[in-house]
Amino acid sequence: MAELKEFKLPDVGEGLTEADIVAWHVKPGDHVEDGQIIVEIETAKAVVELPCPWDGTVARLLAEEGQTVDVGVPIIAVEVETPNSAERPSVPAPAPAESTPDDEAGAHSVLVGYGVKTSATTRRARRTAAGRPETAEVPTAPEVPIEPPELATEPRAAEPGVAAVRVLAKPPVRKLAKDLGITLAALAGSGPDGSITRDDVQRAAAADTGVRSADSGNGSRTVTSATVPGGEERIGVRGVRKHMAAAMVSSAFTAPHVTEFLQVDVTETMAALRRVRELPEFAELRVSPLLFVARALLIAVARNPLINSSWDAAAEEIVVKHYVNLGIAVAAERGLIVPNIKHADAMALPELARGLQALTETGRAGKATPADLTGGTITITNVGVFGVDAGTPILTPGETAILAFGQVKDTPWVVDGQLAVRKACTLSLSFDHRIVDGELGSAVLRDVGSMLQDPVRMLAWG
Amino acid sequence: MTKLTLSRGINEGLRKALENDPKVLIMGEDVGKLGGVFRVTDALQKDFGEARVIDTPLAESGIVGTAIGLALRGYRPVCEIQFDGFVFPAVDQIVSQLAKMRYRSRGQVSLPVVIRIPCGGGIGAVEHHSESPEVLFAHTAGLRVVACSDAADAFTMIQQSISSDDPVIFFEPKRRYWDKAEVDTAAGVAGALPFDQARVVLDGADVTLLCYGPLVRTCLESAAAAREDGRSVEVIDLRSLSPLDMDTITASVRKTGRCVVAHEAPVFAGLGAEIAARVTERCFYHLEAPVLRVGGFATPYPPSRLEEHYLPDLDRILDAVDRSFGY
Amino acid sequence: MTVESGAATTAAPALDQPAPDTPDQAGEFIQLLTPEGERIDHPDYPLDLPADDIRSMYRDLVLVRTIDTVAISLQRQGELGIWASLLGQEAAQIGSGRALSPDDMVFPTYREHGVAWCRGIDPVKLLELYRGVSHGGWAPEEHKFGLYTIVIGAQTLHATGYAMGIQRDGADRGEAVIAYFGDGATSQGDVNEAFVWASVFNAPIVFFCQNNQWAISEPLEKQSRIPLYQRARGFGFPGLRVDGNDVLACYAVTQKALQAAREGQGPTLIEAFTYRMGAHTTTDDPTRYRLASELEMWKLRDPIERVRAYLVRGGLADAEFLAEVDAEAKQVGARVREACRNMPDPPPLALFDNVYAEPTTLLREERERYAAYLDSFEEAAGR
Repeated sequence: MAELKEFKLPDVGEGLTEADIVAWHVKPGDHVEDGQIIVEIETAKAVVELPCPWDGTVARLLAEEGQTVDVGVPIIAVEVETPNSAERPSVPAPAPAESTPDDEAGAHSVLVGYGVKTSATTRRARRTAAGRPETAEVPTAPEVPIEPPELATEPRAAEPGVAAVRVLAKPPVRKLAKDLGITLAALAGSGPDGSITRDDVQRAAAADTGVRSADSGNGSRTVTSATVPGGEERIGVRGVRKHMAAAMVSSAFTAPHVTEFLQVDVTETMAALRRVRELPEFAELRVSPLLFVARALLIAVARNPLINSSWDAAAEEIVVKHYVNLGIAVAAERGLIVPNIKHADAMALPELARGLQALTETGRAGKATPADLTGGTITITNVGVFGVDAGTPILTPGETAILAFGQVKDTPWVVDGQLAVRKACTLSLSFDHRIVDGELGSAVLRDVGSMLQDPVRMLAWG
Repeated sequence: MTKLTLSRGINEGLRKALENDPKVLIMGEDVGKLGGVFRVTDALQKDFGEARVIDTPLAESGIVGTAIGLALRGYRPVCEIQFDGFVFPAVDQIVSQLAKMRYRSRGQVSLPVVIRIPCGGGIGAVEHHSESPEVLFAHTAGLRVVACSDAADAFTMIQQSISSDDPVIFFEPKRRYWDKAEVDTAAGVAGALPFDQARVVLDGADVTLLCYGPLVRTCLESAAAAREDGRSVEVIDLRSLSPLDMDTITASVRKTGRCVVAHEAPVFAGLGAEIAARVTERCFYHLEAPVLRVGGFATPYPPSRLEEHYLPDLDRILDAVDRSFGY
Repeated sequence: MTVESGAATTAAPALDQPAPDTPDQAGEFIQLLTPEGERIDHPDYPLDLPADDIRSMYRDLVLVRTIDTVAISLQRQGELGIWASLLGQEAAQIGSGRALSPDDMVFPTYREHGVAWCRGIDPVKLLELYRGVSHGGWAPEEHKFGLYTIVIGAQTLHATGYAMGIQRDGADRGEAVIAYFGDGATSQGDVNEAFVWASVFNAPIVFFCQNNQWAISEPLEKQSRIPLYQRARGFGFPGLRVDGNDVLACYAVTQKALQAAREGQGPTLIEAFTYRMGAHTTTDDPTRYRLASELEMWKLRDPIERVRAYLVRGGLADAEFLAEVDAEAKQVGARVREACRNMPDPPPLALFDNVYAEPTTLLREERERYAAYLDSFEEAAGR
């Protein structure tokens, strides 16, 4: 059976892009044999003879003498009479390199090899998601442990200016940020050259607001399967919760906590609160027991500065702060956070009220900034809102004391030797026993209690 | 401006050097009458004579050794080693003598010898014709090692290498010999980029892709394909392998935060390893991912029917870019 | 080119090449069969070969040339990356090749397809290397024929070391080594070092230099001012020149030299004075550096023609025999063509094999990663 085959001008290994047909040795109708010279072509000022690859009959010459032909272009069609040949995968002539019309005749002799193959300029389609980081370990088993593919986050567009600001952070810090879902670009770095440190990230995670990147899941309750009665439910520990846990652990197992309790008759405070609410300065403001507790604590701190300090293990020093960044524990949707009011000690009462209000609002709304969440020096936590009296609060890391106050409720009290019903609440002061001894702690607690029992004392001591 | 092949670009540069300085000589196997197996020295013997363009006996060690002697006598020899895989008989002269003479003589002796070596694979050749031995020379103090990637650079870099008072190993990517580029053959080299500096050949924002010699074109093609993926790749042609232009590299990686190095030579103990170490040191806080390297495997160069698997191509390079973004 | 008188050893600057049509007057251009096919005698080489052997040699010559021609043609069709043709050198290779005994070891360059033929290596194996399927497809000890060595001259040292090994295995082994190389190679340090070693250790080796007059574009006078065979004297062993286009002379001379080696007389340098009729390789262009007239001159000294003439004139071969040989040649050619075109490519992962005796951790890792990488594409890469 006959088959029409076309012989394409090959690259004879000279890195050839084209050649001139010099002379045909055959014409249509001629019988040709495998290996028989059929044409002379000119390359690099040398003439090369090309043999026919088949036995057959010349059907047509596809190029004329004197014509310049590109490599890969058919130059002759031969009717091939081979009975046995299945279509053999023959080696295609290597694709031509870019040739331009103003080429010298032919290319140059390469002396070796098949010549240069053109390379692909587009990517081959891949089945699996790319971007698997290779494991550092060397597997000895035949199986290579393949890490789950981590798809790249959206590639940043190459806009001018967007790429100009580089975030600086060590690899472990970057990983931490990624795990916590923190976008580094939103943080200010406290490390060398403005690089972002592990602490910066952890503090940011404590706030865990608006600084999160799109595709992280933080501390939210993820019910991984339908709740089965009597079954189990798993809640992911991520984000704020994870940080909160870490902070608690860090604090609890670093500072020796001692908690002292004092039940206080706050009837006078509650009365004073009512009168303060009516003052024009407090017209739009929320006035709650927290305001008075805060003010009392601030004054107690002024009287007992050591309670407002931190333990610097590296320097082996206690750092006493002569300013108070008052932290208030806030139950945000995603967990407990402790934003603080900077320099609360220098604030007049209305200002303090305003600060507390703003703080709790933004905190609850999840809008506390990293700045809000760092730099606190002492903390108040209101456990009364949960309907309990007292607790053994855990210090905010980096601080020396935390004051919890419980619910204000009617309580039987001895007044002037007589049983009476008074408004009472319990104060719980935890402190770091490395810095604060029982005497100091008690003094602070007593001071706060005294002021809450008789608010006029705040005038005397403040 | 004329469009020249890389081979011709070097040829024109050699011609200029021969014209400008009577002490410049060209020597090697088949460089004279034949004009070189890649025609890089085409017509130079015809125009400058047999005393200056020398067909040498078949001995690489002899070529370099006698070149050293000529240099001691005040000449500026430009040697050709016909193929990368044949440089090894000359390595003793290069490493023990050429590289060390200035140091040995405490500056009394200068050996301004250039050794031109066509290098790299991708031409479907038999053994010893596709090697990338650059790191051997980069690791040898006293040698400058450069690699051109296009005709314009080749034209200036060969002249700069010849003018240098240091011995220069000049790598020419043989599979790119026929690639064309615009070359201003009338321009002097005074204004050209110094041959010890890298060049940002394509600006980008997302990742720095470092390469030299034959892979510069591959990396540019890769960057173009990456644009389809929405990635902006900055491609830098290192040009000088020793010394390395760390300033250009560092500035780029500090901008992009990611770095991939590509070379045909094996990854293991290749030039990419040195670059990765230095980039990591200088850009530690800027790095979003470790510096990744793409290159040949830890095997001898394979038979030519397998070389497409060995040589880094567009897909392999972009795979590394993807992996970088996977961190 | 002047013809030097045999007595002069001090260097006259003129080259000492015999003109192509005149044997060296010193008589060291050993010839037993003239270009016209006339049998002549040489006192040192009494040769009385049965007609069958000579007919067999003729067949070898024709087949080897055919295979060579087919290989060139395959390269032109893109089936081989390159081919180094032995056109014109068939007699030197068949002659010396047939002088070898089965236990002798051969160290070739990359052009000894005729010697490979004598050693029973399937020519298709040689094509593997030039097609780029492998770097050398046969086991050296199996055929007593080393792998092709592309680095010029390196094999001469290997050959010398191998010969030193034979010495250590016992003098009664009766084995010898033959190292092939060209005129250009004699400039390489390795070859000269091999001469040093072989001479001082008296190694059982024959150095067979095919002086085909050209090293790519460089003529012999670029490599040597003195006839190559005379170099041996400087190293202290015998050197002689044979008509490289005379299969009988090459046979006789090589046989004698091998015997001398076997008998513990040490190395001999044989310079087979021949001509590279083709290009250095398929992409070399000899018209750039040599004259067509030179080629024409050497066509008159064709190695195969003279044997045919001798056989026919002497009634040792008839038209039927010649036709048979041609038919066989055609068959062999067709088989080689077919085998080449059907030669499978090695699988990609084969590139990781045989780097070390046992793969290292790094290699295993690279192989696995690459396998996974290849697997990650929707379609396998086309060629």
